[in-house]
Amino acid sequence: MTSSLHDASPTAAVPVGQPAPDDRPLAANRPRRRLHPYAFALPSIALVLVFFVLPFLANAFFAFVQWTGYSDTITWTGLTNFKLLNQLGILKHAITVTAVYAITAMAVQNTVGLALATALQRSNRVNSLFRSLFFIPVLISPLAAGYIWAAVLNAHGPLNAFLSAVLPGEFHYAWLGHDTTALLAVASIDAWKLSGLITLVYIAGLNRIPEQLLQAATLDGAGAVRRFWSVKLPLLAPAVTFNVVVSLVGAFSALDVVFSTTAGGPGDATTLLNVAVYTQYGQSFFGTASALGFVVTLMVIVTAVPLMSWLRRREVPM
Amino acid sequence: MSAIALKTRGVVRYACLTLFAIPWILVPFWLLIVNSLKTQGDASVLSMSWPEHWSAGANYHTVIDKGSYLTGLRNSALLAVPTILAVLLLGSMAAWAYARSDSRALRFAYYTSALSIVLPPAIIPTIYVLTQLGLNGSRLGYMLVIAGTRLGVVIFLATGFVRTLPHDFEEAAQLDGANKWQIYWRIVLPVLTPVLFTGAVMLIISVWNDFYFALFLLRGSQSATLPLTLYSFASSSTHGVSWNLVFAHVVLTSLPLVLVYLVLQRRVLAGLTEGGVTG
Repeated sequence: MTSSLHDASPTAAVPVGQPAPDDRPLAANRPRRRLHPYAFALPSIALVLVFFVLPFLANAFFAFVQWTGYSDTITWTGLTNFKLLNQLGILKHAITVTAVYAITAMAVQNTVGLALATALQRSNRVNSLFRSLFFIPVLISPLAAGYIWAAVLNAHGPLNAFLSAVLPGEFHYAWLGHDTTALLAVASIDAWKLSGLITLVYIAGLNRIPEQLLQAATLDGAGAVRRFWSVKLPLLAPAVTFNVVVSLVGAFSALDVVFSTTAGGPGDATTLLNVAVYTQYGQSFFGTASALGFVVTLMVIVTAVPLMSWLRRREVPM
Repeated sequence: MSAIALKTRGVVRYACLTLFAIPWILVPFWLLIVNSLKTQGDASVLSMSWPEHWSAGANYHTVIDKGSYLTGLRNSALLAVPTILAVLLLGSMAAWAYARSDSRALRFAYYTSALSIVLPPAIIPTIYVLTQLGLNGSRLGYMLVIAGTRLGVVIFLATGFVRTLPHDFEEAAQLDGANKWQIYWRIVLPVLTPVLFTGAVMLIISVWNDFYFALFLLRGSQSATLPLTLYSFASSSTHGVSWNLVFAHVVLTSLPLVLVYLVLQRRVLAGLTEGGVTG
């Protein structure tokens, strides 16, 4: 505090023509003795470099080479991997399936998360109980979530039993046995697992909205619905940005739930890009597997960058 | 607004929440638990009813005996615990350096680490790198990859936190003759505890439940983690067809984290809500 005052007006404190006391200019000019613990970052840098950055960059190379487990040589072949995957009908299909999966998972978890957060924002005992309850799926593995929901959605499972009870007729619909419902169901199971976490991020966002703004809106005659759409939602934009981007990008590299429910089927209806990566890898086709992995990366970059800047522009400064 | 209207609204809200919790939480978990106690025949119809013929002991015994549950539990603990501790330690050390430095190189390293949260890991080249290092299929290789891909979260959370702290304490300790390690250990690390708790919760959830990296990077049933043992048990032709056994394995696999959560739930939820995930 004092040193900055002296910096701003040295003459005001020191009478003109009189030498300053010895320590004063020193104290004012001495650079703050900052610590520079550079070395503390080195282990992290090494780990991130070798096990994240290096593979990430290498992927841009491996996607364009011929590389299988049946030969020791790795040769540059340009776009051959992508052409091959396209001829096999894998590439476009896997991209479409992954996109539908990611958008569904993102939409379901953000809708549920936002609704739950709005209902549970205030901290009281009952709300804490509900928050704890809705958080449980976050703790279990996506694999386990898949097994549980495969049972709920089974032709003889509780969902069909419920539908048979409330609607006329007997329902034995295999939700995971038909192309469209299987894909939507698997994506929703993924969303089910993550909604509890998204809810907490939205609660934190809602807690950051100044109470006066909501009171002012109430005084101006805004009802609960109006307050939500016109006040809360615009001010919640940073949380929305975070959740939408993270859930979308996360779902692009999903695999677990598919492994425990449909194994990519029926046919190839739920063969996400990463599931296709595993299949190619399992057959020792490392080049085509890398190419499919590279597509996931491209999808993430192509989606995340524009989406982030578009959502950011909608954020209201508080 | 009148008190009665407020009260009515509260009742309606809780009624809606309960109505939603039934299919969302209660039905799936009830189905899971109750069928894990039934015989194979009774469980095959996937009903929600109370067990007619109990088979709890036999089911759970089969999972432990034939489902490599204990091997999976041991491997998960041996792999997850040291990795998470290392990530918290190294990540917070790096965060201190990143927060206190004006160096361009370090700023670049920080942004790269933060980007690793969003960008997907490249699994096939990762296997290539591990092969070159002679670590392919090994537990150490798996731990190093988990560390390299998860450090970003801790670095991101902790760097933001250190930046908000004044330099005063670190400078005072330095004047008192403390070296950098002492300053980190005695001053920076204790202050970081709340944010590292949040980071630990996020790490435990993702590392303990990790199936993706384990599937690609761990070889052999001897090093299989819990998700891997669950997967191979449920995919096997002998046990995979029995819902009661698959469910018993799911219950046992999910139990460790759920038990920890039951004890710490208040802190976990508060940490994740106030931990400032959005920054």
